[in-house]
Amino acid sequence: MTTSSPGTAAPVRPDQTRTSAPVLQVDGLVRAYGDLRAVDGVSLRVDPGETFGLLGPNGAGKTTTILMIAGLLRPDAGSVHVAGTDMAADPIRAKGHLGLVPQELAIYPELSARDNLRFFGRLQGLRGTRLKTRVEEVLELVGLEDRSKKPSKTFSGGMKRRLNIGIGLLHEPTLLILDEPTVGVDPQSRHAILESVATLTDAGMAVLYTTHYMEEAERLCDRIAVMDEGRVQAQGTRDELVELVGDADLVVLAGGGALEAAEAAVEVLPAVQRVTRDAEGLRLTVRGAPTAITGIVTAATDAGMSLHDVQITRPDLESVFLHLTGRALRD
Amino acid sequence: MRALLVLVAHDLRQHLRDRSMVLFAVVIPLALSAVFSLAFSGVDDPQLEPVTAAVSVPEGDEAAAAVPQTLAGLAEAGIDVTVLEVPADEVTAAVTSGQAQVGITLPQGYAAALADGTGATVEVEVGEDAGLAGQVVVGVVSSTVQAMGRDATAVAAGAELGLDGQQLEALVAQLSGGGSGAGGPSEAEASAADGAAGTAEGAEDGLATGGAAWTVRGVAGGQLSLSAGIVAGQAGMFLFFTVGFAVLTMLTEREWGTLARVRSAPIRPWLVPLAKAVVAVLLGTASTTVLLVAGSLFLENVAFGSWPVVLVLVVAVVAAATSVMALILKLAGTAEQASLMLSVVAISLGVVGGTFFRVPTRGSWARCSRSTRSRRSAAG
Repeated sequence: MTTSSPGTAAPVRPDQTRTSAPVLQVDGLVRAYGDLRAVDGVSLRVDPGETFGLLGPNGAGKTTTILMIAGLLRPDAGSVHVAGTDMAADPIRAKGHLGLVPQELAIYPELSARDNLRFFGRLQGLRGTRLKTRVEEVLELVGLEDRSKKPSKTFSGGMKRRLNIGIGLLHEPTLLILDEPTVGVDPQSRHAILESVATLTDAGMAVLYTTHYMEEAERLCDRIAVMDEGRVQAQGTRDELVELVGDADLVVLAGGGALEAAEAAVEVLPAVQRVTRDAEGLRLTVRGAPTAITGIVTAATDAGMSLHDVQITRPDLESVFLHLTGRALRD
Repeated sequence: MRALLVLVAHDLRQHLRDRSMVLFAVVIPLALSAVFSLAFSGVDDPQLEPVTAAVSVPEGDEAAAAVPQTLAGLAEAGIDVTVLEVPADEVTAAVTSGQAQVGITLPQGYAAALADGTGATVEVEVGEDAGLAGQVVVGVVSSTVQAMGRDATAVAAGAELGLDGQQLEALVAQLSGGGSGAGGPSEAEASAADGAAGTAEGAEDGLATGGAAWTVRGVAGGQLSLSAGIVAGQAGMFLFFTVGFAVLTMLTEREWGTLARVRSAPIRPWLVPLAKAVVAVLLGTASTTVLLVAGSLFLENVAFGSWPVVLVLVVAVVAAATSVMALILKLAGTAEQASLMLSVVAISLGVVGGTFFRVPTRGSWARCSRSTRSRRSAAG
């Protein structure tokens, strides 16, 4: 597990003792728009059969990083190697190893699911019996056999999402890139998508998964990189990341009133490591929350805060993000 | 190459499936042809309505009497003019009541005024329903009166210079023999009639005009008729929209997200815009050809010459339009901007190319064009 502090161009690559050739090797990626460095020295590595999560809020630079990895955006600096092939030197060969599932739906609404799959399959170089077989397999995998001849514009949102993912799987890529695949979908479809990804990873496919949902990253990913403001703040397994916050708990004081005064009152308490304020109340990183909670509540209410709810959460990725960035993941 | 075929076939299938291909390549061209048929039928051969001219001529004035004689002679030029001789105080009433479309009042002492060079005022009244034929009559009267004035001035000047009687008679004979007098339809008449017709094709030799022969010569070559020119111009303008539709699907695909997905496939990046250009050329060529063929079949006096040559020209124009669309695609940030730019470019080039009216063959624009052509010829 590694962390990087602001100003560090590229964190030390984790798992340097691994010997297998990585499916994806990214070193020092930089992309700037004017004065804004959307991606600032991102380095990461995905090994065969691994599910790697990019976790960060909207605007953290995840999608820009994905676009550079997929060869759709030229980086200002840094390199991308897919299955050992340099994306800059041989983009066609490198792209042949990738399956991209963009954040937005990327299907032709007038075409049926089968025709969408056929078209993208042909672009990936599939033909003849191989193409036909893969189309049928993917239709079955995403559960669209019965609707395969209907125009995709008649599909529900969940069905479109499944087709969107299925297109990325068609040519059995070495690395499947899923860019926030569950944004805007209903809980049932979301569950189905997560199940599908878990099935793929069980089958040995390497997956690069971006999300701003902590629970998705925890559920699916073998390793996670926490991104914010264009940088990888830390990366490692879930347990390695949680260790960063030690035994600190997350305490959420939900309520209103004098939040600013309450923030000032609680942050001087010895057990409180960090305090952030949002529209719902205060979020605190606290060492030994069960014993310190009484003093925290008293200090907050004495300062003028009207409490509606108090929650104590054991350390998780939300706590990690708060610890690393001083902000909640959803900010 | 295989990827290009896949992309082109996909785009064509898409256009076929959403019916846009049939719409742009067949339905709209045929619909436009029907509109052209209604709008432009007969523009090459305008029919002049019969016109009645109420003319007041002072009694015994031979010079004034030449005016109604000239108008009566217009029948030889195919203009049906009825001359109604009325007293001077009834001319206005005749025009107001609609009995006549044009009223002409020649003043008392008209001949004398011409002879002594003091000049005379001829009053012409034009009714609301005079139409094109009425304007022709006015033009003929105006030029006739001016010609008589010039002749009289010339004779008066000769007398002042001391010409004897025989010399003056000879001068009068020369002037009246030149066809500029009141002896028949003048140059102005021919010009007016020619202008009304809009074109001067072929030649009409030997039309008698008071003893003089005059000839109207057409320019040899491949000049399109007015209808054919407008149909070709409209086809050119519509072409921009057809080609634009095919090329600007790049923006639609960007909105759908499919463009990024296609570009993430293991293909050369430039194949994507190239495929759009190929589809645009195919669609534009089909659409323009249908429009030109339909125009030549369904409209009168519309012909474009050798079809193989026309087809080569169409493909060249479609390729040029596709290039313009590619520039727009490069400059436009959104589909709305692209549509706006497309409309501006299509209509601007359409106007310059004669979509709505034939561009002037005289005046500063024509001089500029001729000058440009001359320089190009010299350079070549």
